[in-house]
Amino acid sequence: MTCERSLWPIVARREFVERVRDRGFQVSTSITLVLLTGIIVISALFNRPTTFDLGVVGEGSGQIAGDVVAAAKALGIGVDVHQLSDAARARRAVDAGDADAAIVDAQRIVVRASPPAQLVGLIQAASLRERSKQALVSSGLSEQQVDQALLQAPLPVEALQPVNAQRKEAASVAFVGVLVLYGQLFAYGYWVASGVVEEKSSRVVEVLLATVRPSHLLRGKIFGIGLLGLAQLLLIGVVGFATAQAVGTLDFPSEAIATLGLVVIWFVLGFFFYASLFAVAGSIVTRQEDLQTTMTPLTILIVASFFIGISATSSPDSTLAVVASLLPFSSPLVMPTRIALGDAAWWEIVASVVVSVSATAALIPIATKIYSRALLRSGRVRIRQLLRSREA
Amino acid sequence: MSGTADGTRALELLRLVRRFGEVVALDEVSFSVEAGQMVGFVGPNGAGKTTAMRIALGVLRPDAGEVRWLGRPVDAQTRRRFGYMPEERGLYPKMRVLDQLVYLARLHGLEPEDARARAAAMVDALGVAERGRDRADSLSLGNQQRVQLAAALVHRPEVLVLDEPFSGLDPVGVDVLSEMLRGQADAGVPVVFSSHQLDLVERLCESVVMIDRGRVVASGRIDDLRAADPRRLVRVEVSGGGDEWIERVSGVRVIEPLPDGGIVELADGIPQSDVLDAARSVGSVRHFSIVQPSLSEIFRRQVMR
Repeated sequence: MTCERSLWPIVARREFVERVRDRGFQVSTSITLVLLTGIIVISALFNRPTTFDLGVVGEGSGQIAGDVVAAAKALGIGVDVHQLSDAARARRAVDAGDADAAIVDAQRIVVRASPPAQLVGLIQAASLRERSKQALVSSGLSEQQVDQALLQAPLPVEALQPVNAQRKEAASVAFVGVLVLYGQLFAYGYWVASGVVEEKSSRVVEVLLATVRPSHLLRGKIFGIGLLGLAQLLLIGVVGFATAQAVGTLDFPSEAIATLGLVVIWFVLGFFFYASLFAVAGSIVTRQEDLQTTMTPLTILIVASFFIGISATSSPDSTLAVVASLLPFSSPLVMPTRIALGDAAWWEIVASVVVSVSATAALIPIATKIYSRALLRSGRVRIRQLLRSREA
Repeated sequence: MSGTADGTRALELLRLVRRFGEVVALDEVSFSVEAGQMVGFVGPNGAGKTTAMRIALGVLRPDAGEVRWLGRPVDAQTRRRFGYMPEERGLYPKMRVLDQLVYLARLHGLEPEDARARAAAMVDALGVAERGRDRADSLSLGNQQRVQLAAALVHRPEVLVLDEPFSGLDPVGVDVLSEMLRGQADAGVPVVFSSHQLDLVERLCESVVMIDRGRVVASGRIDDLRAADPRRLVRVEVSGGGDEWIERVSGVRVIEPLPDGGIVELADGIPQSDVLDAARSVGSVRHFSIVQPSLSEIFRRQVMR
């Protein structure tokens, strides 16, 4: 028995190295990274704080533009003012899209097609105030009196459901996390299943069984593929985080890192659970074509969990999300979101981990038993029959 | 356990029993293969050859009986020093040939460096060195067979068990493999292989084990089995005589018809001269000899009865 311990790491090493070398793996990893960085960069471009270009022509327009800039700043909107020499040039600038709007002689607002509502609203308010001021001054009031009357603080706004920026960002990060977790669990689970089928269909398994025990073969396969899944997940996480930081998408980077950590932990928890099931699905068939059929229940389970996970990013406290975050097959796709959004009680987290670990611990011996007994059988094997039969 | 007290350098299968549901695949099968011996394992399809070999390799478990090597029951660790070639050939289709051999050598307990050196030496010895970096599924069937053999030998096995190693080989391949196995046996490795090609077994092996319906029906040196065969056989051919006349000689049973005669078995009390006289009466006798039963004839007699 002394030599037994050293065999499954050799198996795991092969699983890892052969797959890293696989051209398909390299290509799909690159595509994933390109897509991820692309999505982050594009979404950053769309979410950039709004800035308007405002053309100004003629007397009095500059005054209004100054008011617009001040009012816009209070709303978090940037306005760049461009002084233009005449009305024709202003029209051309607006028509060419160089300016979003132009104030002509403090008399007229020129826009291209549909007016940018925010900007026009600001200009209207500023011009109204300016004209009111002039009207009041010309009717005999002092400028000071007019300013006193007109320069009032804006009304305070009371939001009944205030937007929590941190929570909003956490939900987006969790959404990406669920997406990636789903992809990793599915892809790497499938690899375990198809790896088992490959060994059966190529008959190499009989050569292996002459020196490796089935349980060690299975352990090596799950660890090797799982380690690769984890490495790829970390790579995706690090690249995604670095990109988001570089384009300034993340306002709360440490929270994003914490969520990434949760995703990694629940990948490990979920992978061992699903990998055992996928190994069983692979061991009871001999041909890759038959694998789809035996994987169907698993596919349904994992896809359903994925949708619950997605819904949990918007409503983490729904009964469905709470229950799903405790069940071993769905918790990996739901619990990280609930924790990231701060909706999971500590006892729920503990319960979820305990349930997941003990379900996996209970599952592995059964899966190993089925796997061991099915390895040398060809065709579609029935699980119940295997559990009743003797070992090899 | 007795350890190596009796000093046997032999692989022993002792009273192996294995059932698959209602079917008894092995019914107290016992035989042994001495160090340096090459033993042919023969029997009709479904006789239990593969089951016995799988049990020897620990791929299957017996319901009763045990397998011993050097006088001790074999465990998983001992089996790692065995070499095995299953009937259903198996390689990783997408894995490079050399990597594959290194991997198997490692699984059999070789250190990484030794494994690499041995793998390179094996592909060299089997003439597939230039294909070492290719994927296994890009090789011709003949070359895959060579790699399979390399896989069985890469870890310098102390015992070799091969299930139908010659099936699917062309004559050149048969010669290469025969030579390799002979070399292994000469180096003191017990070699046992199953085969349907009895002429090949007869040529390569001194000893055979014959199995039928899960029982060993005969085993030992081929010469001894011949000597123990009580039948008197005569081969007779008459130029242009056809094969009809021979059937009419009384006290004679045709074992193997030939174009102008055949190999016949003489009943008790029938002298060989009866056959010769009958042959003379048909035409000019081209061949007349007393023959020893071939392995196929011994096999047929053991299995058909």
